[in-house]
Amino acid sequence: MVENKLVLATPEELKQRNKLAGTIAVPKQVNIAPITGHPEEHVKNRRVCISRPAKNSMQSGTNNLDYWRIEFDNRERWENPLMGWVSTGDPLSNMEVEFNSKEEAIAHCEKNGYKWFIEQEEQAKPSRVKNYGSNFSWNKRTRVSTK
Amino acid sequence: MAKYLGLDKVGKLFQIIQQSGGLRAAYKKLYRFDELKIGSLVGTDKYGNKYFENPYYFYGRNRWVEYAHHQNMDYDGSQIPAEWFGWMHYKTDLPPIRDGARVQHKWMASHSENLSGTKEQYMPYTTTKPKYEAWDPKKK
Amino acid sequence: MIRAPLTKALSLGSSTSPIHKIAAAAFRTTAVTAQIPAKAPEKIEVFVDDIPVHVEPGTTILQAAAVAGVEIPRFCYHERLAVAGNCRMCLVEIEKSPKLAAACAMPVMKGWRIKTNSEKTRQAREGVMEFLLMNHPLDCPICDQGGECDLQDQAMAFGSDRSRFTDINHSGKRAVEDKDIGPLVKTIMTRCIHCTRCIRFASEIAGVDDLGTTGRGNDMQIGTYVEKLFLSEMSGNVIDLCPVGALTNKPFSFAARPWETRKISSIDVLDAVGSNIIVSTRTNEVLRILPRENEEINEEWLADKSRFACDGLKRQRLVAPMVRIKGELTPVEWEGALIEVGQKVRAANGAVAGVAGSLADVESMVALKDLLNRVGSEAVCTEQSFPSEGSGADLRSNYLFNRNIQSLETADVALLIGTNPRYEAPLINTRLRKAYVHNELEVASIGPKIDLSYRHNNLGDDSNLITQICNGTHPFAAKLKEAKNPAIIVGSDLLARPDGAGILANLQNFAKGFKSTSALNVLQRNASQAGALDIGYQAGVEEAIKSKPKVLFLLNADEAKVTRDQLPKDCYIVYVGHHGDEGAQIADAVLPGVAYTEKTATYVNTEGRAQQTLAAVSPPGLARDDWKIFRAISEIVGAPLPYDSLEEIRDRLDDIAPHLIRHGHLEANSFQTVAPQLSAAPSISSGKVSVQQLSLKDYFMTDPISRASPTMAKCIQAAKKEGEKKAASASC
Repeated sequence: MVENKLVLATPEELKQRNKLAGTIAVPKQVNIAPITGHPEEHVKNRRVCISRPAKNSMQSGTNNLDYWRIEFDNRERWENPLMGWVSTGDPLSNMEVEFNSKEEAIAHCEKNGYKWFIEQEEQAKPSRVKNYGSNFSWNKRTRVSTK
Repeated sequence: MAKYLGLDKVGKLFQIIQQSGGLRAAYKKLYRFDELKIGSLVGTDKYGNKYFENPYYFYGRNRWVEYAHHQNMDYDGSQIPAEWFGWMHYKTDLPPIRDGARVQHKWMASHSENLSGTKEQYMPYTTTKPKYEAWDPKKK
Repeated sequence: MIRAPLTKALSLGSSTSPIHKIAAAAFRTTAVTAQIPAKAPEKIEVFVDDIPVHVEPGTTILQAAAVAGVEIPRFCYHERLAVAGNCRMCLVEIEKSPKLAAACAMPVMKGWRIKTNSEKTRQAREGVMEFLLMNHPLDCPICDQGGECDLQDQAMAFGSDRSRFTDINHSGKRAVEDKDIGPLVKTIMTRCIHCTRCIRFASEIAGVDDLGTTGRGNDMQIGTYVEKLFLSEMSGNVIDLCPVGALTNKPFSFAARPWETRKISSIDVLDAVGSNIIVSTRTNEVLRILPRENEEINEEWLADKSRFACDGLKRQRLVAPMVRIKGELTPVEWEGALIEVGQKVRAANGAVAGVAGSLADVESMVALKDLLNRVGSEAVCTEQSFPSEGSGADLRSNYLFNRNIQSLETADVALLIGTNPRYEAPLINTRLRKAYVHNELEVASIGPKIDLSYRHNNLGDDSNLITQICNGTHPFAAKLKEAKNPAIIVGSDLLARPDGAGILANLQNFAKGFKSTSALNVLQRNASQAGALDIGYQAGVEEAIKSKPKVLFLLNADEAKVTRDQLPKDCYIVYVGHHGDEGAQIADAVLPGVAYTEKTATYVNTEGRAQQTLAAVSPPGLARDDWKIFRAISEIVGAPLPYDSLEEIRDRLDDIAPHLIRHGHLEANSFQTVAPQLSAAPSISSGKVSVQQLSLKDYFMTDPISRASPTMAKCIQAAKKEGEKKAASASC
């Protein structure tokens, strides 16, 4: 089927039609750094660490570790000469942003133009079937001598 | 008529110059204090500052101090000792030399001016141990 | 990106910075490994809070719940320790079962419906908690565990707001005398809830049966029975394990609360294992170091030196550049020091050498090497020596721990030659011990008689034994050949001997006939050594001395391997490092670098795994990043190095060896089979096989940081005292 309008259209009109049709393509990588107002120095010179909070080895609980976060690198701190307190000139020293997944964190960093790296990848935990009886096995070294 | 022509001002200028002790002295005074005033000398403290009063001037400007000569341009308000401070600030109308009720004790410290900005100023120093102990090549 | 070579720009294609690409690539590789399907035969199905889970038969309820993502409260149970089942906190209800079951000890049966959140379970937990709190002091405000205490947390969840316990006899709460178990662990035994984790750790992981219980019921006590110090190279871990504040960190006591500290993930560099650590800092000071879980390296343990030597970071520090004026090292400004050094380097006209010591990071070693190469010198060496004959350090497999640390667990026969892993790499020794306990590992050693914390067969300390093993004449050689997963661990000090090349070549030839290709492992002692050899440093200081340098750079070189009399009279020695130790004492110019907690730098561990430290605190005084110092000198010398930022120097590392920036990943080593063909086969000279660190007192001070640490000095004192006590009791 031939559409009359299309056949009769001038090249300019066709061009215009093509422009109006379909969706607008946005470049996939968006860098909003120039318009965020985030000082350039902190965008270009900082390294962002994407990591999961490490389990506190002092405790056995693991409930609040299931997220990803971004942290900026440590900047200089100095001792305040009057009181001996520690000062920093880094506005990002206390900033920690939490994400549900690593991909979200990466996307956020890419969007803001940060240089990022991933601190620790997830590791599969080797499973070891544990057995109360092995404490008492007579022919294995797992036998417990001290109680 | 003389007042109308402002001749009394000229007369006062001459009086001031006279009281100051001549043209040179008056110029020096003007140079040091940026103003020339005439008044009666109320007293002199032990540092050589001279205190004047003249009710002709408006309240707030009718008591003033001429700092001792040796201070030259390095005078400042904290050189006025505590006893004259009250008179200068209209807390009392009795200048200390005429106030018999003022107590004098041996142990009273003499006045000291504010030493900020001079060599003798107080410098705070840290009393805490340094966080990092530096290596001393001489100590083995 | 502009500075990146064209080839790299083309291969990467897009306009993102290289660091993005690297990290993205790293991410992809793990995704691939994660897709490998797990073995799935004969799993049984159970329901934890109505969530179906498939687990292997024999799995305990607690482990099954962990698979389902349900965490059961516990005190005595610990993943890496044996099941004890004595705290009763993990009681759970099982449907159709009349009684509650201890989840940590009860294996699941098919079709069980486990209720971890039911009324009955909760009541049981509250009951246990009430009994525990009856005799636990309410001293959380003065307790060092406060804020990271399992008992505190679980009391918030299951504790009652009042106790039914009334002290009718007015005898007070149960109190226990504190015990002195050494300079590292502080005990407040009244707080103990008898979970026995410390006992199990000591006997299973550390391998010292020092701790135990005495008495029963209310009179039960944890202790050493006779007064004795709990001296082990792993003793600090009982602090972590203790769920209450009964065992706490003595040097850290009353220093800070956990919520006040900043925690920065980093890497330990005091041995070559590269344990993952968390550096806790506050007010710009390193307060304590905790282990960070990494299954492939340190599990969740940390050796005592790595944990407690951090107070050495605050002492004996180089805080300002120094130049020798009239025979005395005098603090000067950076500019003056750099110009002085720069002029000397220029005047030396290429007669410049460099020596890297045990704590040097890869970035600064690369900067030093690039600087020296630019002024026309090739003499860059490491302090630790390694044979250069044959393929020498050209093949990575020659100097690395080829079998990775984690897979030591599966080893069945192991031979240790000239090494004492217990003190050279305590965390590798715990893996060996793990294999010994759980995999029936058979261990033999050649070297002096040492206590490895597990039973092993000491074959003797004659060097000829190595020849015999390699010939196959020794009976143990047959065992190694037949073993499914054999491991030979050679100490790096043994290879530093003149006949080291012979030993290595013979062992490589011998290991060719093994069933596993990566059986031969070299155990390095320095965190810098593997990285230095990776980037082309020559091992051993001989090369530097032979080149008769007019300027010698010592980068963290503190082992006193180079002395004044070995060098030409007019040699100008420049020390770059962070502690005033052997190196700084002989130097003519001292340029203050930074320690591992103050820099973001790469280290390669003995397996060949590159990892990075992250800067936790700012450097003291005028100290600067080591590689930046070399960059500054290069500017003055007139041969500027082409990197200004960390990213750019990492690009340079990428050019040299890409594995150096793939942090945390282990690259497989090939060429184990090729190496013997390249090696000349010199013989092994006879003599004794010696080991440097024989007993615990040799362990604590091995590098400038631990030598500056007062805690380590106390440990040595304690170890000596304990040794004397033992000797005295043996003689009478």
